[in-house]
This record gives sequence, C-alpha cells and structure tokens, in this order.
Amino acid sequence: MESVFREETADPRTESVPLSHLSLELGHLYMEDFAAGRTRLRSHFDEVRPWAEAARAAAVRTHGPRARVSTCFLVDDYFTRHSSPSLVLPMLCEEAEAAEVRIDYLARESGCARAGNREPARAVEGRLVESPPPGSDGSRPPASEVGWLSNGQRSPGHHADSAEAMAGTPPAWAPASETGAREHSVFLDVELWSEQKGERLWSCPFLAGVWQLLRLGMLRHDGAAVLRPEEFGGTFPAEWAALPALLRLNRRAQPFAAYRTFSVLPTRFLPVEHAVRVLLGQVHIEAPVREQVERRAKGEGVVLPPELPDRAHYAFALEP
Amino acid sequence: MTRPKRDKVSGNKDAGHETVVVCGEVRTALLQTSLPLSQDQCARFLALRPDEPVRVSERPNVYAVSPDLLTGVDCRLPAASGSRVRGVGTVRAHAALTGGRVIQASAHFQYTTSVSGQRLPWSHYLVRPGLVERLGRTTADDLTAGFLAPRATEPGLLDPGSIASRLLDRARGHELLDGQPPLKSRRTRLRWAVRQVPPGAEPSVHFTIVDTERRTLLLLLPGLMDAKAVASVPPFCEELALHDWLLTTLIRVVERRALGSLSGPEVANRLGPAVSHLLHLWLPGARSGRELPELWNGVEQQPGFTRQWQTLVQRIRDQLALQSLPLHDSAPESSRAPTSAPRR
Repeated sequence: MESVFREETADPRTESVPLSHLSLELGHLYMEDFAAGRTRLRSHFDEVRPWAEAARAAAVRTHGPRARVSTCFLVDDYFTRHSSPSLVLPMLCEEAEAAEVRIDYLARESGCARAGNREPARAVEGRLVESPPPGSDGSRPPASEVGWLSNGQRSPGHHADSAEAMAGTPPAWAPASETGAREHSVFLDVELWSEQKGERLWSCPFLAGVWQLLRLGMLRHDGAAVLRPEEFGGTFPAEWAALPALLRLNRRAQPFAAYRTFSVLPTRFLPVEHAVRVLLGQVHIEAPVREQVERRAKGEGVVLPPELPDRAHYAFALEP
Repeated sequence: MTRPKRDKVSGNKDAGHETVVVCGEVRTALLQTSLPLSQDQCARFLALRPDEPVRVSERPNVYAVSPDLLTGVDCRLPAASGSRVRGVGTVRAHAALTGGRVIQASAHFQYTTSVSGQRLPWSHYLVRPGLVERLGRTTADDLTAGFLAPRATEPGLLDPGSIASRLLDRARGHELLDGQPPLKSRRTRLRWAVRQVPPGAEPSVHFTIVDTERRTLLLLLPGLMDAKAVASVPPFCEELALHDWLLTTLIRVVERRALGSLSGPEVANRLGPAVSHLLHLWLPGARSGRELPELWNGVEQQPGFTRQWQTLVQRIRDQLALQSLPLHDSAPESSRAPTSAPRR
C-alpha cells in the first residue's frame, strides 16, 4: 500500500516555477571582500571561471547543447552591511563580466530570511522533520524548539533536550552517533538560529540551506512561488533594504530555479555546506511541489536523484 | 500450482490484504483565556507554519485547524503480545480550536508494512507523511490492542500523545491568551485505534472511560478502507473527544458541589460561564457525521452522549429558571447570569 494521506496532492493551487537544468553559483564573498576593492573582486571571478566553465560543460554533456544554465550570486547583507548597493554592485557586475562569468541573477541573503511579507527561513523551519535516531518515540522536542539540527544521536548531557540533564543527574558519557552511518559516524550538530534581544538571528548554514531550496524551486508560500525575480532597471538603490530579494540582471537568462545546483565556493565553506546537506535531507517538501518537479524532469528525460541533498553539487576550489 | 500473488508495491504476499490500522491521540482542553477567540484570532493562534494557511470554517460554529506538523519516529511499537516490533516513519499532528474556546491537539499515524525490512534513507519517509512502517511480524489486532493498553505509554514506545501534549504546551504560552479561563476544567486525552474488519461486519465503536482524564476508543470498520475513508477517521475521533470533554466538563460544573446547597447568585456564578461558553458548542457529528454517520449513531446509542448532555442542560436550565423566579431572595443586581441564559 502506498501513502494513503493524499489530500494535499489533489490541491490545484500549487504554482509551478520555470526550471533550468542547472543553477550555477559564482562564488560567495564577505563584505570585507567588497571593502578590499575591485582587484579583489576581479581575482575572485578569475578564480571562479574555470570551475564555472567545467560545470557548464558537464551540463551540456548531460543535457546537450541546449542545456539551460543560469548563474547567480548571493550578496551577504544579512550578517554585515557594507557601503551601499549603488556603490558595490556595479563594481561586482563589471568585474564578473570582465572575467567572462556573467551574473544572471543577483540575490541578497536577507531575502532568505525575509522577502517582502514572506519569511522563507521561518517557512523552512516549519517544514523541518528531523530524521529520528533509533529510540525516538515522539517525546523529543523538535529542532524548531531546540534551535539545533543534527544528523544523528547527540552525546547525552550536552544539550537542553536531554531528559537526564534536566533531571540533574549527570548522565554517563556516550559517543554521539550518525543515523545511517556507514560503519563509523561523522556526527554533525547545526545551530539553526540564536536569539539576540528577542530578535532571531538565523545562522549562516540555515540561510544557505534556504538558498539551496530556493534554487531547487522547492519553496512555496500558500502554494505560490516565494521568490519572483524582478527585472533590473539599470540602477541599484542606495539602501540594501530597497534592493529586491532576487534581481534578474540578464534579460535573456534561463530560469533562476533548476533541477540541480552547482556552487563554486572557497574550501572554508565546506562545513557550512555539510550542514546544508544535513538540512536538505530533513525538510518536508509538500507533495505537489516535489511531484511537479519530478514530473517535468521525467517529461524531458532528466534523471533526478530522489534525495534532495544529492541535487546540490559543489566545487570547493577557491582561495579563502 | 499457483504461486501466491505478490503485491508490487509492498513485496509482501499479504500486502494486498494488509489490514488498515490507524492510531492516534487527541488532547482536549479549555483555552486558558477569558473570552473566546474571534475567527481572525483563531487563525493567528494556529499559524504554526507561516507558509501554510490555517483552515477556518464558520459553520455550524467557528472551527479552525492548523497546518499539519510532522514528527519523525523510530522506536518500539506498543504490541499487546509484547513482541519487539520496530516502527519508523512520521506522525502527523495539528491543533484545532472550536468556537474559539476549546483547543485540541491531535496526533496520528497509519501503520504500513516495511518493504525492505530495514530503515531506509530519511527521504523515503518524508514522502510518506503520516505513515509508520513496521519492521517485524505482528498482527493488526496485536497493534491496536497494544496501543490502547495502559502500559502503551511507557517511555520508549511510540507515543503520539507526547507529540499532542507538546503542541498544547506550545499553544499555552501564546500572547493572545490572558490565562484567565471563565470556568474550571480538566484536560482529557483520548487514545484511539481503528482497525479494518472483513466486509459485511457491522462497524463498531468501543469507547472506554479509563479515569478522569484518559479515554480509549477502538473503531472496527468493515470493508474497503481507501484513502478517503482513512482520512475521515481522525476528524471523527477529534469530534468525539470534543464532545466527551464538553460532557465531562459540564458534569463537573453541575456535580462539583450540590447545586441545592448554593445560594442563588452562587448558582448563577457557577452555571453562567458554562451556559455562555460551552452549551452552544454541542453539535455531535457536525463535521464528521456525513462521512461516518453510522459511528455517530453508535455513540448516541451507547453511551448515549446527547441523552446525557440534554439531561445536564435541562438541570442547568431548571436551576437558572429557579433563579429568575421573583420569590427567590437573590438580589437582581448581583446576578451575573449571562444574557444568553435561557429563560422560560
């Protein structure tokens, strides 16, 4: 017997989003990189270029010469805000173009937390369904209460959700373990957010996970697409807050969302993206969205890995 | 010689005839606030997920239900035989408000047989929300009996009740609540199990009051149980839990202290809140009666919910009617009998 709770599948309201074959991310910079000026940006995109070309070539090999590839760049305006978009972004786009890696879509990281009246991060938090380590009988508080998400069983006594710790008796030490590990564990515990003066501050790995879900076309708000790219009018605003969450810089760009993602990143982002994989594996995507993407992939002969984390690919290749 | 036909989906030779078993628990409580929440407030209160709307229906009374939350489980299943059976999957839960006054948290799941006989990557379970795959041999009877047995709440055994309870706790601290309920009441918990029985049998309802808080319900439903039939079961159980809670609460109001020993204003103070906050909520079968009318008929015959309710309501009306007689010595200005109190 297959799944029997099918009512959500019959729901006709789910909007479909256009999909490319590949969403290619052209590196990631911190605000200090912008502060370092034009030369730093140029050398960044010079470094990105061979990896971006390799990813594009791989997409062409798989999908043929008409492979749909879109490029994107995420500006970190969430943790630090540097200067002004009208000063920084023209420089960014010019240097990318000079290095022959054109940016099709520009997104700002704050948009993963809040885009207009939508809160993609909150929505993803509400969709986290943790992979239960053996012994989970339903009494464990969910990640949305604890603020941490792991890929297995925590070592006892180190976390607020340990019953023994709350009872006051120090529990016997036991190693943490990864659920479904091959022989040995690589246990990872990810902080999803912290609270600062009652304000929630999302963690970098969590927003990176939301970013991947947006690129994979997996998020909806009451059935509607969460991010719609706005056309670039030729000038950037003076304030970060006035910058659209997702801007299409290239009118002829292929769709922003894609069946798979490829990100060229500095090696120091490896732990962040490990956390992203843990997150993607524990997000419940509503059936109509998932099935829409699968149906369309099948329709054009695209093979999709069933596991969401396996649709995100990387080159950890850039200098820090 | 014919080989037994294997079911393609499950790979289990019995799977084509796998007996449907759905289990759950509903916790019901008075919303701890002085005034009932309006329709808009209900929607705000139940917005557990920002990307999914709260479903609200206005008739026959305001009823609002939150989007579903899923919780992953991997643990021993409560089997009456004590056999060690493991279950892996997800439990569905939601919270609901009736009349902006009564809150319910409900968690349930359906059993299914594991095809692989082992735990699979988590994505396998994420695309089967509300299903718990069992690893190990047992019978449908063993699972339902085990789930409803008192020892089923031992730690380590699959417990949708703890999921429902956490939802209630989470709701309790909401900013919309002032913590001043108009009357005293207790939480109830209804643990329920549904088992499919062969076609032709009569559907049956076994409702048991275990103690002041706990109730169990076993439903035996004959014939085909398709997705629609399965989906109609939790709403029935929630509605039954609501009416059992209403009845329990009203009994408490009436019987806590003999009404005859109270003064006029005391009687009105005691009965008034129940009249204005609870009486209009009694609508058995309003939401699930169309799909499962035979079950509601069963409940009405035994234990005869509505009969009991009407008897209590009649007592309350009689008492309040007595208050309104001019011979009585209660001072009218001190009476807090609500305007909605029925008069004769």
